[in-house]
Amino acid sequence: METTGENHPVYLQNPDVVVREVDEDGALLFNPDTNSIRVVNRTGLFIWELCEKGSDLSAMVAGLKKSFDQATEDEMPEQVKTYLAELVQNGFLGQEGNEVLSSESEERKR
Amino acid sequence: MAALSDLSTAQWHEVFERLGALGIMDATLTGGEALIRTDFFELVDSIIANRMRYSLLSNGTLFTQALIDKFKTGKRFQRLNSIQISIDGSCAKVHDSHRPHSFDRAIRGLRLLKAHGFPLTVRVTMHPDNVEDLEATARLLLEDVGLPSFTTNEAFPMGAGCGNEGTTCLTPMRQLEAMRVIAGLQARYPGRIGAQAGPLVKRRMFAEMEEARATGNKPTRWVMGYLTGCGCVFSKVDILHDGTVVPCHVLHRLVLGNILTDDLGEIWRSHPTLKALRKRRAIPMKEVPGCEGCEWAEFCNGSCPGLAHELTGDFNRANPEDCYRHFIEETGGIHAL
Repeated sequence: METTGENHPVYLQNPDVVVREVDEDGALLFNPDTNSIRVVNRTGLFIWELCEKGSDLSAMVAGLKKSFDQATEDEMPEQVKTYLAELVQNGFLGQEGNEVLSSESEERKR
Repeated sequence: MAALSDLSTAQWHEVFERLGALGIMDATLTGGEALIRTDFFELVDSIIANRMRYSLLSNGTLFTQALIDKFKTGKRFQRLNSIQISIDGSCAKVHDSHRPHSFDRAIRGLRLLKAHGFPLTVRVTMHPDNVEDLEATARLLLEDVGLPSFTTNEAFPMGAGCGNEGTTCLTPMRQLEAMRVIAGLQARYPGRIGAQAGPLVKRRMFAEMEEARATGNKPTRWVMGYLTGCGCVFSKVDILHDGTVVPCHVLHRLVLGNILTDDLGEIWRSHPTLKALRKRRAIPMKEVPGCEGCEWAEFCNGSCPGLAHELTGDFNRANPEDCYRHFIEETGGIHAL
């Protein structure tokens, strides 16, 4: 798990979500529980991959600044926070301690 | 219960693992009757474990309260896209004429599913013995059972059914009659009767062909003048009971491989037959054998390649069952409505 140790929730991928890499510019996330699809660009895919083992907002922002030249300083934390909230709301991500994970998913994680 | 050539439970588990690994999102279980397999829910759970959703096509006869309860276990209900039940008539006499001894059980199953809030669709397959019953069928489904909608199709000649075309398929005159009845029902039940094929779709397409020919204005919803009648090969393949992979159930003679021994991803990306099926959209109708001199070629799309292949042996032909020139010769055309 990647975290800065600050008091931010840690975001985790919902292991039931299927990621289909479309091309170098992004991917498609499919949540079979809600039958919803989310198209993500390279930045979104980067964030998604950080959440595989868990990551909090500060670590994500730091990673984005390091990996993307165009990342702007001031607005990024709020933008990422909004983006994460949307992914959580639609069941693509969970928050540590508050994951909505099925028994099959837990089994598969093991 | 499974026929000797059906894949075993373990083999289906392997199939679903392969599909899941490829990022497949939806699986549709059909038959025969899929519910007859005693391992049905094991297969559903395998689909769920491999991060897919599923749909079921059924004759509806096997649904009981006990079966409903099983569907409510785990994520079986949550991951269910829909259950499609076949109802071909308003009474046993009509429905059972082509689906023997099944009407009462099918309707009981339908009502049970409806009462328990299942995502339901009903398909009415039209044939020579149920056109006159369609109004009563619509009343049963939409008013009595209370479904929001149903869809229609028509029986078509395929496989062993090719020898029974006279008793199973609509003649052009019966199609015209079906179009007339459906038009009346659509006026009575706006937005509640749909179709992806069959008389309802033909009526709309034939009318648009007439309109385009008369005005020069072609619709934007579909492409006229080329073999564009099918988009299935861009979004799905069928896996038969024994693992054989085919482009779709209508193109069941075109074997692409076997799901257990061949790489489905490679088949999807590179199989010459699938590539050829996808390229048929670029073939102008006026170059299609049998359609060269047809005055409607510029306005036609050749319809289903599966039936074209079944009836002519070549999927790059037009489906003779949906030929508007033939329809006009037999009925006088859509204006006869």
